[in-house]
Order: sequence, then C-alpha cells, then structure tokens
Amino acid sequence: MNRSIRWLLAGLAFVLFVAPAVAQQAADPAAIVQKFGGKQSYDDTEAVISELARTGDANVARALRALRDGDLYWRESDEAVFIGKRKGDDYEIFDPMTGEAAGTVPRGEMQKVRVKNSIRNAVTTALGSLTLGADSAAQRMRAAETLFSEADPEMIEPLDAAIASEEDAGVKARMEEARASAVLVSDRPAEEKAAAAKILANRADRESLTMLTRFAGATDDPVAKQAAEAAIVAIQNNIAFWNQMQNVWYGLSLGSVLLLAAIGLAITFGVMGVINMAHGEMVMIGAYTTYVVQEFIRTNAPGLFEYSLFIALPLAFLVAGAVGLVMERGLIRFLYGRPLETLLATFGVSLILQQAVRTIFGPSNREVGNPDFMSGAFDLGLMSVNWNRLWIIVFALVVFAALLAVLNKTPLGLQMRAVTQNRKMAAAMGIRTPWVDAMTFALGSGIAGIAGVALSQIDNVSPNLGQGYIIDSFMVVVFGGVGNLWGTLVGAMTLGIVNKFLEPFAGAVLGKIVVLVLIILFIQKRPRGLFAQKGRFVEA
Amino acid sequence: MLLARFLGPRVWILVAVILAAAILVPLANLALPPDHALHVPSYLVPLWGKYVCYALLALSLDLVWGYVGILSLGHGAFFALGGYAMGMYLMRQIGSRGVYGNPVLPDFMVFLNWKELPWYWLGFDQFWFACLMVVLVPGLLAFVFGFFAFRSRVTGVYLSIITQAMTYALLLAFFRNDMGFGGNNGLTDFKDILGFPIQAASTRAGLFAASCIALAIAVLLVGWITRSKLGKLMIAVRDAESRTRFIGWRPQYVKLFAFTVSGIMAGIAGALYVPQVGIINPGEFAPVNSIEVVVWAAVGGRGTLIGPVIGALLVNYGKTVFTAAAPEFWLFMLGGLFVFVTLVLPRGIVGTIDHGWDALRSIRRAKDAEKDESGGDAQAVPGPAE
Amino acid sequence: MRSAITWMQKTAAAATITAFSLSGAHAQDTKPSGEPIKVGILHSLSGTMAISETTLKDAMLMLIDEQNKKGGVLGRPLEPVVVDPASDWPLFAEKARELISQDKVAVVFGCWTSVSRKSVLPVFKELDSILFYPVQYEGEESERNVFYTGAAPNQQAIPAVDYLMGEGVERWVLEGTDYVYPRTTNKILEQYLKDKGVAAEDIIVNYTPFGFSDWQTEVSKIKEFGSAGKKTAVVSTINGDANVPFYKELANQGIKATDIPVVAFSVGEEELAGIDTGPLVGHLAAWNYFESVDTPENKDFIKKWHAFIGNDDRVTNDPMEAHYIGFNMWVKAVEKAGTTDPDKVIDALPGIEQANLTGGTSKMLPNHHITKPVLIGEINDEGQFDVVSETDDLVPGDAWSDFLPESKKLEADWVDLKCGNYDTEAKKCLGDTMAEKSN
Repeated sequence: MNRSIRWLLAGLAFVLFVAPAVAQQAADPAAIVQKFGGKQSYDDTEAVISELARTGDANVARALRALRDGDLYWRESDEAVFIGKRKGDDYEIFDPMTGEAAGTVPRGEMQKVRVKNSIRNAVTTALGSLTLGADSAAQRMRAAETLFSEADPEMIEPLDAAIASEEDAGVKARMEEARASAVLVSDRPAEEKAAAAKILANRADRESLTMLTRFAGATDDPVAKQAAEAAIVAIQNNIAFWNQMQNVWYGLSLGSVLLLAAIGLAITFGVMGVINMAHGEMVMIGAYTTYVVQEFIRTNAPGLFEYSLFIALPLAFLVAGAVGLVMERGLIRFLYGRPLETLLATFGVSLILQQAVRTIFGPSNREVGNPDFMSGAFDLGLMSVNWNRLWIIVFALVVFAALLAVLNKTPLGLQMRAVTQNRKMAAAMGIRTPWVDAMTFALGSGIAGIAGVALSQIDNVSPNLGQGYIIDSFMVVVFGGVGNLWGTLVGAMTLGIVNKFLEPFAGAVLGKIVVLVLIILFIQKRPRGLFAQKGRFVEA
Repeated sequence: MLLARFLGPRVWILVAVILAAAILVPLANLALPPDHALHVPSYLVPLWGKYVCYALLALSLDLVWGYVGILSLGHGAFFALGGYAMGMYLMRQIGSRGVYGNPVLPDFMVFLNWKELPWYWLGFDQFWFACLMVVLVPGLLAFVFGFFAFRSRVTGVYLSIITQAMTYALLLAFFRNDMGFGGNNGLTDFKDILGFPIQAASTRAGLFAASCIALAIAVLLVGWITRSKLGKLMIAVRDAESRTRFIGWRPQYVKLFAFTVSGIMAGIAGALYVPQVGIINPGEFAPVNSIEVVVWAAVGGRGTLIGPVIGALLVNYGKTVFTAAAPEFWLFMLGGLFVFVTLVLPRGIVGTIDHGWDALRSIRRAKDAEKDESGGDAQAVPGPAE
Repeated sequence: MRSAITWMQKTAAAATITAFSLSGAHAQDTKPSGEPIKVGILHSLSGTMAISETTLKDAMLMLIDEQNKKGGVLGRPLEPVVVDPASDWPLFAEKARELISQDKVAVVFGCWTSVSRKSVLPVFKELDSILFYPVQYEGEESERNVFYTGAAPNQQAIPAVDYLMGEGVERWVLEGTDYVYPRTTNKILEQYLKDKGVAAEDIIVNYTPFGFSDWQTEVSKIKEFGSAGKKTAVVSTINGDANVPFYKELANQGIKATDIPVVAFSVGEEELAGIDTGPLVGHLAAWNYFESVDTPENKDFIKKWHAFIGNDDRVTNDPMEAHYIGFNMWVKAVEKAGTTDPDKVIDALPGIEQANLTGGTSKMLPNHHITKPVLIGEINDEGQFDVVSETDDLVPGDAWSDFLPESKKLEADWVDLKCGNYDTEAKKCLGDTMAEKSN
C-alpha cells in the first residue's frame, strides 16, 4: 500500500514536471506567483500576496516588488505572469522569479496586474517579513522600518532571531526599535515594556511619540507608565526644537527662491533703474529653455538626463540674455532718463512674451523632470531636508557670489558701476556707455534666465510662471534697497524667514498679508530700503 | 505755460461732449425704435458705461501721476473699495430674493453657515450710507496711506512699489472667505438699485448718464484744481520736489491732498462701475489691473485732462474688439500698442498732438519744453540720470 | 523638435479654424445648408485660466466640426463664435452679452471658475439664452438658463470619501484653495464625515491662496497630522496652478500614496501633463471620466481628438467629456424642439439622454444637472489614471446638498415646479429666479 502510493506520487510528479508551471507543487513559490495571472479582484490579489508571504521564500521578493511598482503583467494568451518593461510599443518581459529575459511582446497582448494602495501596502508588509534576512543591508534596513510601523507582536520572535545574527550596527538598532514597538503592543511583562519605552524615547520621532502616547494611555503598570511619560516629555521637547529648526530651514529655502527670482531684477531695476515688468518672463524663458533641453535629451540622448540642468544653465543664460539684449537695443535704450516709462514698455513686452510662449508651447504646464540628485530628501534629526531645496539654496548663493564678483572684480563690472553712478563722467572717461548698458541689461536678464532653470524644479512651467514672481521680486529689491546686491540677499532671506515663522500661526494667506504690511511700514521708516544708497547721485 | 493750454475752450468742449453723451446715448437707446439707424442697442449701454467709469479712474490717476508725479500702482485698490461699498448696498437690496430666501444674509454667508451679519455690513441697506462709504473708505485709505508715506518722504519707485504692495495685500485679504466679502466669487447677482430693477434698459441708461455726469464733474474739478495756485504748486512738486521744499512749501501736504482726492474719485468710479458690470470681485485689486490704468493714462497722454479719458476709452474699446476678432492674438496687439506708444508717442496721443501743434508754431519753444519734461521724471528713480 | 512641430500644427489648426469660420461650413458627405446656427464658445484663452480652458475651446471646435460633417443641426451648419474673456470676470459678462446680443448665438458653451459663471449668470437670465457649464463645481445653484454637465459635490466628493473610508482611512485633511468651491465642498464633507462618526479632532481643514507655490510648511503639517497612528488621507480641492508645486513637495518630503493618499477633485490628465508622475503613483482623483477608460466610444473620441489637434500627446479630460455630453444633448434637444429658440430648447432638454464616454447613458435631469458615473482613479507612472473603483449606477447630480443645513430643504425642478430653489418646507419657490420667465 505504501509502495503503491509512492509509485503513484512519483508518476504524478512526472506528469506535473512536464505540465505547465501553474500545476506544479502547491508550495512552489513560482507556482503561486503564476496565480497573479488572469482577471482577478483586488481581494484575490491580496490573497496571493499573503500566500507568497507564508512561503517565507526570499526569492519571491522580485515578483512582489514588480507588483508594487506596477511592472507585473500577464499574457492574454496563456495567463502566464511576467515582469514587463515598456519599450516603445512593446514590452520586454522577464521571468518573475529569476529575472531572466523572456523576449519582447506587443503591448496589446499583455495585461497589467492591477494594483492599488492597499495592495502596495500588503506587498510592503510581506516584503518586510520576507527580507529581514536579505543579503543587502539596505533591504534589511527597509524591512526593519516597515516592521517598526507595523508593530506586530507576532514578529517579535523573527526579529529576535534577526537581531542575533545581524552584524551591521545601524540595521541592528533599527531592528531593536522595531522589536520595541512590537513589544509595547504585546502581552509581554511590564519591565520589558518599560525597557522598550526607553528604546523608543531614544528614537524620539513623531511615530514613537504616537506609540508611546497610546501605550501610556493603555497600560496599568505604574513603572512602565512612568517610563513612557518621561519618554513622551523628552520626545516633545525634541520635536519642538526641530520644529523651530525646520522653520528656519523653510525660511532659508523660501528666501533662496526669492533671491533667485529677484537677483536679476536687482541688476536691471536696482542698478539700471529700469522698472522691468518683463523680468518674470525672463525667468519663464529660462524655465522653458530647461524644458526644451530636457525634451531634446529625452529623444536624442536619454543618458544625459542627469546632466540636463547643467546643460540648460548656460543655454538659459544665453537665451534670456539674448532676449534681454534685443529688448535693450530695440526699446529700453530710447527710454533712459524716463524710468517710469520703461514700466509701460516692458509691461507690453511681458504681454507679448507670455502670449508668444503660449502660442509656441501651448497654454498648459510643461513637464520638467528632476534629475536624481535633485530628488528625494535626507533626515537631519527630525527635519527632512530636500535635496532640491538644498541645491537651490547653494545655487542661489553661488549665483549671488558670482554676480558680486562680476560687479566688483571685472572691468565690465567696474564700467557698469561707473555708468550707473555718473553716466556723463563715465562717458567722458571713454567708457562706451551704450555698450555697457546693453551688457548690463543682458546680464540681468541672463541671470533671471538661470533662475528659471532652478525654479523649473519646484514650480509650474507655464506661461504664467513669471507673473507669480514679479511682485515678490520687486518687494525684495525695494525692501533690500535699490542698487545694492547685499540688500537683495538680506531682504530675500529676511522675508523668507519671517514668512515661514508667521505661516504656522497665521496661515499662508494672513502670513503673506502681514509680510506685505510690514514691508509698507518698513519703507516708512527707511524710505530707501534696508541698505540705502548714499551719495549725491541718489536724488539727482 | 503748460497749464495755459488747458485753460482754453478744450476742457469745455470735452465736458460738453461727455454731457451730450449722457443725454443722447440713453435717448438713442430708449426713444428710437430698434430698426432706426441711430438706435443704440441695449447691450452697448452698460459696455460704454464701463468705459466711462474706466475713464474716470484713469483721470483720477492722472491727477496724481500727471500733475504731482506720484506713480501709483495701486489705484485699482481705491476703485475696488468703492465698488465693494456699492456692491454691499446692492447685496443688501436683494433681501429675501436670494436663492435661500434669507431676508438679511447674502447667499454666500448662508451657505458658509454664518448666523448673523458681520458689523461692517450694517448700514449698507441704506443708499446714503453706502454713498458715504464709497467716498469715505477709499478716501480714508488714501489719506492714511498718503499721510505716512509722504511724511516719511517715500518717493519715486519706492512709493510705486508700496502702493503695489497695498493693493496686493488687499487682494489677498479679499480673497479670504473669512473676510466676509464673498471671497473669490465676490458680490454678484444684484437685483435692483434705489428700487429700479438693475437689468432694465432705463436703469442702465440712467447709470450711464450718471457715469457721464460724474466724469464731467471730475474733469471740471481736476481742471479747476490744476489751474489754481495749488495746481501750480503740484506741478512744482512734480518737477522739482526738493526745490519746492527749500523755498518753504510743504510738498507732503500738496501730495496728500491730491492723493486723497484722487482716491475718492477712483472710489466713485468703482461705485458706478459695479452696478453696470454686475459683479465686484477681488480680481479688481490685482496689481496688473492697476498697471493697466497707468497704461491708459500714458496712451492718452498724462498731464492732460483729455488724454486719460481718451486713452481709457481707446484701449478698452480695442480690448473689446480684439478679444472677439482675434482671441488668439490680441495680447500681441495690446503689448505692441504699449511698446509703440512709449517709443513713438512718449507724450501719449493727446500730448503728441499738442506737441506737434507747438512745434509748428515754434520749433525753439518745443525744444525747451522737451528739456523741461525730460528733467521732470529723472528724479523719481536713482538711475542713469541725464 | 516637438515644440516647433506643435507650433506649426497650431498655426495650421488656427488657419483651418479661420477658414472654417469664414466659409461657415464644411462640405462633406451630407452638406448642411441654409443660415448657420451660431454657437458661442466662452473660454479664457489668455490669463491664468487659459491653462485649463484653451483645451475646452479646442474640444468644442472639434465637436462642432464633427456635427457639421454629420449634416449639422436641423439641416443647417453650425458656426462657432470664439471670444477670449481673458480670465477677467467682468469681461466674461461683457463677452457673454456680446455673444448673445450682437452675434445672436443660439447657445453658449463656456466658463470654468465659479466666479466666471456667477458673473455671466445675470446676463443669461436677462437675455434668456442657454449656457452649458462643463466643470465640477460646488453646487448650491440651479438656474433655468444654465445646464450643469460637470459634477455636483455628490457626484465627486462624497463617493471619493466613501472609497477612502472603505480603504480604512480614519483621519482627514481637507486641503483647499481659498475660494467658494473648496469652501463649500469641505463644508459638505466635514458634515458628511461627522455624520459617519469621524471625531472633530480627526479632521483638519486648511486653505491656501491661489497660485500658492511654497508648500513646505503645509506639507510638513500634513505629515505631522498623519503620524498620529491612524490611517490618514488628504482630500485636495487645490486649484490648478498650485497643484504642481504641491505634488512636487509631497514627493520631495517622501509622502507616498501608501502612507498618506491624496485624493484630488481638480487634478486630471491635463494637470498631470506638467508633472513627472513617477513619485505620485497611487495618489487618487475622483472624476466622472478618465482618458484610460476602455470603451469603444472613448477610443473613438480620443482618436478624433488626436486627429483634430494634430498631436498624439494631447490628453483628454473630464470637462471635455462634459462638453461632449452637453453638446450632444443640446443637438438632440434642438432636433426635438425643431428650433433653436432658447425657451423651447430649455423645455426640451430635461429627459434627453446621451451615451457618455465611459459606457453609460447620461440623462438631463429636471434640475438641469445630469446623471454621471463616479470613477476613482489612481495616478500611474504614465500620467494617466487606473480606475480602482466605480459606482454601480449613474449618480444623479444634486443641486442642493443634503449636508448643508440651509440647502437641505431646497429642491430644483424646472419641469414640474418651474423653480430652481423650491423650499420643500414652506412649499414655495424662494427668491425671484422664476418670476420673469414662469410662463
């Protein structure tokens, strides 16, 4: 009897071996992965995921990750499951277990395994328990983070095992935190919970605060409760401190955006006295240049995408500078000595440029992507610092320094200052004042153009882009003091920080109104801005 | 000498033309049969009425810019405040005819669950009170703002920018629904004014006539102010503020007077505008609107009485025509017009005609005048001064 | 380069349009003849709203073109009259008056923002013409002269919140731009959530100004609110321009849809065209139409759109579908009434049915709103939406919300009651909305 069953099984195994993968052993992860094929409800998909999680086989991680990222497909002809990567009108397909290439298939023949947020969450949870023993430290770290948020008492034992064999100190600490979060909601003894509360107190972020608060409310044990409450106070102080830091950081970040937007205007308006209403459109031109560069790169040299911004910078400078040059030569040079009339003419130019961009590129937003180094964030204490904000601050300061150097260290800068201070005298000394005017205006416009490259990373690229910045730019320059670059820097940073400290209390709208009123009042006190120009040419 | 030109019959011709329009347009609309050649269709009356209000607004700006040299980039704020005061009266007149049938609260307050009228809405059910506020609110704002700004000797471009900040701050404030002015939707769906249905042709004609009369009075008033001794002082302040001060005058009071009067005129323009277009919304506070007003005055010719009126009528008529005839390209035309005017007609249309007339009479005199004028603005901005 | 091509195509399209409006009609299989029927198109082509509205103008031109190829209406050709109200609200009223009085259009398709609609309302009432309004809006309105083909709050907001509750969301951030649509929608949602047992401290409502671009503080506030241990979602009524920086900031601060999903009511395919959607995968939107919906009608519509606009990258969106439905309903109503006379067409419209693009049949209701399906979609990495939930039946648009105390008792019915705001308690029609036109 035994023997006959064994034979039967052997025969069956042989049949199954040659049969399609779907029908192999029930516990075979590869076979379970194939269950994703065919039309199914979200609940079905979730059931398959938990089945995969129960196998405990780390090899299914590839398929699960593909599922989460929306890259898992099934073939319409036989419902076989593959990982697909889009390539033109085709999909390149790969085996979901091994990742081996399996050819290309036309798009119409593949169906996506449908996912939604709850599916993605289920995958993340499954991956958390599956990848606790993964080879890569980064994956184990992510698993520990997931388990920390999950706070599932059933995971205490697997975590204990993982902690015992963990060699990376950072990952180990994360795992201990994950264990602590699970202990707090488990039925372990009170001492162990008090110890867990301490671990969470050291972590000191909002998530642990939430867990501790809930624990302190639920527990009856005085020792554990006390430990939790002490931890809560410590965390709250920590959070309050970092909130202030965060405000300063946001303020600097907003200030750097204002600085970038205003710095070109500090030249055209501040130094030359042209009320340049088309300044915002120069910024817009810079942003559109970035867009065109990225489009070009996308179609012709996708590998260069990471460097697209560096390619766009000089181009934006040249394009906006050239537009500025044309404006100066064709229009503004006839208006020197009539500064208020430059307002009208440049307002007209700004309307024309806006409509021109709308005609050429269409009225809707254009997509400008962030290269990898501009994406994401890192944590500094409890503060998350965005890479793009950080780079924009750095960039704004670099532009500022470069401009300062041009004005103070180069012959052109010397001539610019001479012409601004006393045109007739400068002309008498042999300076070609028209040429200097043209160059100054082109420089200011060019700088506005490179500001556009940076702003394209955080704002809409649309024909209205410039309109959003023009008023703020004028405020910054006037607040800082017309004709003084340092004033523009200090003005931008001050307005940024004040705005960001007001925002949490007053709200975004009231905060901005308060800032405007403060500017009005400040100008009463110092009618020529923060850094007033002195000398007889001031009130010519 | 510049003033002498306005003393002549031209002001009176302008006033006469405006008053004639005030009588003839309503007549042509109401009395003539629709198929008559001179009949003015009903839809044109409020449209022309709107232009007349814009002309009044441009004239009010011209009083401070053309005659005192204060370039206000915030005149839209006074205009809008006057408009809101009138709009609040019109809202209260709706009474229980609102969609929710609430006898006191305007519709927007009802659906935002406001239980009672905020204090600053009280009194606006009375026409006289609303009229008082039309004058008082913009006038007071102009007075307070001007008092501090001129006392601190904020001039030139700094003044322009803080007027812009003022209207921008008001824009943001009125956008807030919590302010109780209807937020972005503003005030609309008016029913009647002083008991007359607001959509009736006769009411429209009446409002048009009222706008014309207001404009005529304003032209006379500005003409009178600018040719008085005070007017001479204004021009002195415009052309050389420091010198005027050194002689012993107090330029800040001259400026304050002009600014306040101008603010009130703008407020009245706004109040007449609202019942004719049927809506007042924070968009009127937008800094771009105020810049447009400057453009009208510049196109027509600032520092003249007739110029801003003509500029406002012309630009807005152009806008009406081109937004329909060339919807994709009208901004090119509008922008091009501004560039053209500043480059080729720096004195505006009226100023250029005057200038050409003068040039015919005496080339030498014209040259002097040019020198005077170009010296006039240079002090406003530190920059490449001649 | 693509830009140059787009420009050339645009010029070509413009030329065609010009030629078209000059000649008045296209000669195709069945040639409409007689005096053309004018159709007004009142969408901003410049200013802040051009970004959204220009597409609708193009969509209308396409629909009119299609109809003329099919033989026009009543055997007569249709002639589009395009004007630019330039995102300037009083100008909307002026242009509406011009279209009706001067150009004598039979019907107007237009407006986007609530304020533009409010601005033209008195004009349409006074001159007794017809407006088709294609955008989702705050409700609280039903006018005899207006037909609302966009969603009322109950056709968008409430089903979206229901879906999220089903997904286990317990804490809510209602984030909006400070104007009437978000204000009203959030009022309704707040009441709805409270009725469903959500505690007051689990809801925060926050408003930001138009065109807001510095979202750092707001987003970190959301992050903090969401770290309280309960599943949190953001219901976004943020308006057009402010969305791109908002989503960019969400992505940068690492808020993923799996942690805190954002469901938006004003973000469609057109808005996503300006964003790299990679980091946004899984965030949601609620609409009555998505371009990704797989029906033959939709495929056909997209094909025609691409052919008309000459650019395969241009997306379709919900308000375009609303115009598609509205336009076809108007055509049917005119054919039914046998005239373009507004009074007769207004009477003919309620009850008209028109297949929508998502496989159902929308019907014009007596309250001048239409029945629509409600779809919830998740953003995918191609800038499109994957539908994750759909209502079983079409939802009838409700002009007066049941979740606002003052409007609960109101009812709109232009067929039997001849009233847009009938007070069911006092049994009378409020206001004077019907006074002049009740005959």
